[in-house]
Amino acid sequence: MTDLAGFWRHTPRLTLLAMAVLLIAGGLMAVASETAYREEKVGDVEVQTRILAITTTAALSFNDRPTAGEYLTALSASPEFEAAGIYDAGGTLFAAYTAPGMKPVPPMAEPPGHHFDDDTLTVNVPVMQDGHRIGSVSLRTELEPFARRAERYVGMALLLAMTLLIVLVLGAAQAALTRANHDLAERARDLSAANRALNAEIAERERVEAALRQSQKMEAMGQLTGGIAHDFNNLLQALSSCLQLVGRRAKEPSIQPLLETGQQAIDRGAKLVQQLMAFARRQTLRPEPMDVRDRLLGMADLLTRAIRADITLETQVEPGLWPVEVDPTQFELAILNLAVNARDAMPEGGRLRITARNRPVDGAGGDLVQVTVSDTGTGMEAEVKARVFEPFFTTKEVGKGSGLGLAQVYGFTRQSSGRVEIDSAPGQGTAVSLFLPRTVKPVAAPAKERSLDTARGAGRRLLLVEDDPIVGSMVAAALDEMGYAVLRAGNAEEALVLLSDRALLIDILFSDVVMPGAMNGIDLAHTARRLRPGLPVVLTTGYSEDIARTEGVRVLPKPYRVRELAELLEAALGAGVRVR
Amino acid sequence: MEERTLRWCSPLALSLVMVLAGAPVSIASAEPLEAAVKATFLYKFIAFVAWPPGAFATADSPFRLCVEGPDPFGDLLDRAVAGQSAGGRPIQLMRRPQFEKGSGCHLLYGTLAMDRLRGEPVLTVSDADAPGGSAAGAVITFVLQEDRVRFAIDAAAAQGNRLAISSKLMSLSVRP
Ligand SMILES: Nc1ncnc2c1ncn2[C@@H]1O[C@H](COP(=O)(O)OP(=O)(O)OP(=O)(O)O)[C@@H](O)[C@H]1O
Ligand SMILES: [Mg+2]
Repeated sequence: MTDLAGFWRHTPRLTLLAMAVLLIAGGLMAVASETAYREEKVGDVEVQTRILAITTTAALSFNDRPTAGEYLTALSASPEFEAAGIYDAGGTLFAAYTAPGMKPVPPMAEPPGHHFDDDTLTVNVPVMQDGHRIGSVSLRTELEPFARRAERYVGMALLLAMTLLIVLVLGAAQAALTRANHDLAERARDLSAANRALNAEIAERERVEAALRQSQKMEAMGQLTGGIAHDFNNLLQALSSCLQLVGRRAKEPSIQPLLETGQQAIDRGAKLVQQLMAFARRQTLRPEPMDVRDRLLGMADLLTRAIRADITLETQVEPGLWPVEVDPTQFELAILNLAVNARDAMPEGGRLRITARNRPVDGAGGDLVQVTVSDTGTGMEAEVKARVFEPFFTTKEVGKGSGLGLAQVYGFTRQSSGRVEIDSAPGQGTAVSLFLPRTVKPVAAPAKERSLDTARGAGRRLLLVEDDPIVGSMVAAALDEMGYAVLRAGNAEEALVLLSDRALLIDILFSDVVMPGAMNGIDLAHTARRLRPGLPVVLTTGYSEDIARTEGVRVLPKPYRVRELAELLEAALGAGVRVR
Repeated sequence: MEERTLRWCSPLALSLVMVLAGAPVSIASAEPLEAAVKATFLYKFIAFVAWPPGAFATADSPFRLCVEGPDPFGDLLDRAVAGQSAGGRPIQLMRRPQFEKGSGCHLLYGTLAMDRLRGEPVLTVSDADAPGGSAAGAVITFVLQEDRVRFAIDAAAAQGNRLAISSKLMSLSVRP
């Protein structure tokens, strides 16, 4: 089929070639034929002239003009002879014959030989007698007229014309075919392009739908987890405070290790709750402009301790890396979670690589910083990969993994207006990338460590706002221990009454955020700072809310250790302008 | 003047003679011209006649051209054959009052009756106005027609003398 098409494509060229060959052959044949005709004619006429010459010897010898004339006149029998002449030895015309209406022979003899003049052939032959030239004979014949000769080539010309016609028709057909083919090919191309576009669109839509489903699922899970975690957190907080108070009161020394164990359990529970909150994006973040390089380098010790000796750690940070505004602690936790996962995926050892680089704005969105933790481990099946961000999803045996590591990573990046991507295939290792938005804010120099003194609170008047009576009494007891004079309020309204009282001296406000009533902790903080400008405020919450960015307000995430509370109160009092 | 030219160059003279012969000539000048033409004709006949094998003794025997009786040519004949040959043979001129059989002539011009030489391989030439006339029995007889020298050929006489005369020459023969 293709061969045939190929053959037909070449046909016009072949035909052209054949025509050229035919043309040349025809021309050569015509020339050859013409030459042959002339040669034959010359031969014929020469023979006749020689006969005439021989015949005329006697007449010439004996000067017999009439006889010579008779010989010549005999030529009139053949119409092809136009004129003839017999010349004597001196070259003078001796006898002549001229057919009616024809040109006579020249009066003087021409040299022997033959010559053609339009449509006539003249042959001159000497008349010899005993080796002497006694004269010459000239005979002129008409040639077949060129038109007549040309007629013989008419057949050939017809053939040529036919060939030319075929070539033209073939050429036109070929051109039309080529054009049609071209059109067809173009249409096919268009069609396949449209098909490709359609397929791409379908794939994109499927991808978007899957992503939407996934995010809806994650959202639902987040809400559920967040609700439980919050209640759980308060319970743990109460338990913790309770244990601490028991510790202070119990004089029996043997009770202390028991209390310690209880506190450890509470701490573990609190951590779990913290992670759940992180996933639910309800944890309190303290974002600050941060240099990823500094953080990663600062984590080096921690990371080396987290991974094993058979795993090499590589850190690559692009020079001039942009700063990001995230919670540094959560960032470190995320990297640690990823490193631990990588370690677990490489039981035989391998390479853990942490890279950070700038991702300039690409289309929509803004500039991003990409932090990637990759390993040379087992990698993941697609089904596993699809679920890893779910809290409590783990493939590890009971007690080895809680399934909260990647949930924290997910929650943290989402809460930081970023996103996470996983690139993994079985046997190909895993790479988890965090994309965090770039910040234009300058990175603050790391704050100096403050020396801690629990007794610092001595003599300070603290207003504690806490709706939960158990939590409230526990915390109040702890503050009391620290040396604070604690004023208590059960909600924001009660607190405001106390704050409005100008006579009442209050050095610092410590309030829960979520409370029953019209005002929550944040509203209270705002009002308090309006009533008493410069009043240090510390809020505590298990949720994130937007309190992190409130001016002059510090946030203590729940659950907290008494020591953490002491440090934060201390810091707030140190920074705040005291107004009495 | 013509005489001198003829003396200088015989082929040229011959052609001149022929040209002159072709032109109408006056009676007054006819006599010497007629002789000159006849003299050349005598020599020219040789080329158109074949003699029997026995006519020549050897391969290089001379060709005998004999003039019998009164010689009308004078030295015209000598000049006509000077330097010429007859088929490779030298031409020997012989003049005698009379030639008999066995005299070895190959061509004989004379005005006497030629019957006596019948059977001899000799080309006898005579004049129509000779005493013997056309009846003299010569093979070739000169005649004057329209003031031109022509000749008549007697084929029977030629055959009698065992001569083969070329048809070309025969075609020039006038009716006796
Ligand atoms: N780097 C990795 N290589 C292979 N599989 C991984 C990797 N990281 C996570 N996974 C898979 O994802 C699951 C969920 O990981 P995630 O960190 O959320 O929980 P975990 O590691 O199982 O437990 P936890 O981190 O809470 O101790 C893991 O059980 C594991 O199957
Ligand atoms: Mg993990």
